[in-house]
Amino acid sequence: MTEKQGQSPEKPSGRRINRKDFLKIGGAGLAGAALLGVAGCGGGGGSSGGSGQIIFSFGPDTSGSLKKLVDKFNKQNKGKYTVKYREMPADTGQYFDKVRTQFQAGGGDIDLIGGDVIWPAQFAANGWIADLSDRLSDSERSKFLEGPINSNTYQGKLYGIPWFTDAGMLYYRKDLLEKNGFKQPPKTWDELSQMSDKVQKAENLKYGFVFQGSQYEGGVVNGLEYINSYGGKVLDPKDESKVVIDSPESAKGLAQPRSFIQDQVAPLAVTNYTETESQTTFLNGDCVFCRNWPYMYALAADPKQSKIKTNQVGVAPLPAGSAGSVSGLGGWNFYINAASDSGKQDTAYEFVKFATAPEQQKFRALNGSFLPTLKELYKDKQILDAVPVIKLAGEALANTVPRPISPAYSDMSLKMAEEFNKEFKGDVSPQSAVKTLQKELQQIADQAS
Amino acid sequence: MTTVSREKKRGWFKEEFGNPERRTAYYMVLPALLIILIIAFYPVLSSVWLSFHQATLTQTGSFNGLENYTELFKNSDFLDGLFNTVVFTVVSVFLEFIIGLGIALAINRAFRGRGLVRAAVLVPWAFPTVISAAMWRLMFQDQVGVINTIANNLGIISEPILSDRTLLLIATILVDVWKTTPFMALLLLAGLQTIPGDIYEAARVDGANVIQRFFQITMPLLKPTILVAVLFRTMDSYRAFDLFWVMSNRQLESLSTFVYKGVRISQLQFAEGNAAAVFIFVTAFLLALFFIYGLGMQTSTED
Repeated sequence: MTEKQGQSPEKPSGRRINRKDFLKIGGAGLAGAALLGVAGCGGGGGSSGGSGQIIFSFGPDTSGSLKKLVDKFNKQNKGKYTVKYREMPADTGQYFDKVRTQFQAGGGDIDLIGGDVIWPAQFAANGWIADLSDRLSDSERSKFLEGPINSNTYQGKLYGIPWFTDAGMLYYRKDLLEKNGFKQPPKTWDELSQMSDKVQKAENLKYGFVFQGSQYEGGVVNGLEYINSYGGKVLDPKDESKVVIDSPESAKGLAQPRSFIQDQVAPLAVTNYTETESQTTFLNGDCVFCRNWPYMYALAADPKQSKIKTNQVGVAPLPAGSAGSVSGLGGWNFYINAASDSGKQDTAYEFVKFATAPEQQKFRALNGSFLPTLKELYKDKQILDAVPVIKLAGEALANTVPRPISPAYSDMSLKMAEEFNKEFKGDVSPQSAVKTLQKELQQIADQAS
Repeated sequence: MTTVSREKKRGWFKEEFGNPERRTAYYMVLPALLIILIIAFYPVLSSVWLSFHQATLTQTGSFNGLENYTELFKNSDFLDGLFNTVVFTVVSVFLEFIIGLGIALAINRAFRGRGLVRAAVLVPWAFPTVISAAMWRLMFQDQVGVINTIANNLGIISEPILSDRTLLLIATILVDVWKTTPFMALLLLAGLQTIPGDIYEAARVDGANVIQRFFQITMPLLKPTILVAVLFRTMDSYRAFDLFWVMSNRQLESLSTFVYKGVRISQLQFAEGNAAAVFIFVTAFLLALFFIYGLGMQTSTED
């Protein structure tokens, strides 16, 4: 590699840079560009765009109804406000992670967040989302279902507006129950156990009852449903920093799913079931009962996904323990970024008002089966006819209980998921599970405050 | 350049930077070095520094010495993860090495269709780990899982594999063996092919039998390759995340899943998660040093 090779003989003027100089300049340029790039990453994130433009984040819009909603709002408010929809991961954990990272970095550019019901306490405790108590009057508040409103309340203040909701419910094989002489779905867990046993044997089914017992968020919801339906609680309702899970009621609650597994009403494999596995088992016609969310009802109508037909499927509120029937609350709310400037917060709330209005909630219920959060819509004939699961399970939606509202919920959830799963498997007794959790959760609560 | 040491030093400096071509070479690597400094060294040092502090997600907090580390060794999840990871690493690397060596010896011989066999052996390795983990999970599953059904019908096990932690760990090890043995075989095969055939011929003339030839010629000459392959695999298994996370659906802890939970999911275990990350880094580093100095692994082809 000599220098002469780099020079072209037909240009003797020498003005052409030789290869080495070129490399030198190129190298320096590259280094500069790289530095700029790094600096650029750190400095980015500032919002741009008009004063009335806000960014709204939510998971993928598979039904297409969200995009229509946003377009409608933008059209109505042309020249005043614009909402830009930013798609987030479908997995709630990943979505949470993303939003949290933005908040940690100083707020980010998302003004309005369509977020999971378990998020507000954590966001509120860190001062990341705005207090909406003054925006929603008491009379307006009373129009919403109680469970979702409670899930948005942290230390007496309202931090989110319920958008659509979800509740655990009991699916049963209507045809098989009738055939075996049962006119009604089970009212209590004990009844479920007996019915399941009888029908499973008579029909020679693989399983009786399936639920979600895996070590994950859904397992926590299932475990809490049992605990709550026997009167057990995780946190003291009067003092959210006090853990009260170590009670005979909680232990009795956790003993219920374990006895299903011991009595072979539920298979041991249910301890690694999530919604998908439970759904497959039920729709394959392999079991009598299944605890799942409302979404499963629509799947029964699809022959590609289901071997049973819709008219074979019944839906009821979850059976009761000694303290009544309790459904775990799911669903999504609107949260407003506290770091956004007040103009943007106002715009964001305009969109919240628009999206939670009866007309829009009805639209999303009819186009995507999203369960409304306004009480009045559960009497709307058009919705009840078009989305039968709402009619069938209206009662379950009225009995929802949110998961513990604590700024350290994600840590508590990890512990509960682990301990509930061990208890379902029979590795620990219900009594020792609630004892362990009492200690661990209290530690977490203390650390968080 | 042979007189005094200072002269020598200056000579070295002159040689490195006086030569315009060498200087250009340094300019060329400078951007890369800078980027490595910024994106690799800084985060590593920063997390080591953080691991000695009462750090939370949002702020660094006060210095608390080794408290994060002592807390770490009291945490049952971490100890679970450490135990699982060590068992997983030792057993899977051992099995992969034995089976991989067998395969390498087999496909090192000339036979019809050797090219095809060599390519076919690599198939499991070509799958992304997440996908093979999800696939195997389905096969171990109780409703549609072929392995679970067969094992139940044969009466080997009566319970669902995925519901038992010990069975789950065994299953995870087997999946890793299935997946990465080809990689091991490939590395060892490359080593085998560098051994000249005439050495074997000479040995045969001297009357060495198969076993003698294997232990006296193949193994010593293959040692450098074996060390590289085993080190690679040990490091990989030690840091395993995806296989544990997906195969067990989060029910089986490994060191890396513990770190992930600590720094990404939890609100409170940030400091501990960070300390665990440093722990993995340091122990993996020591492991590599042990391979290089303790077992005499060659790190370069010079001299």
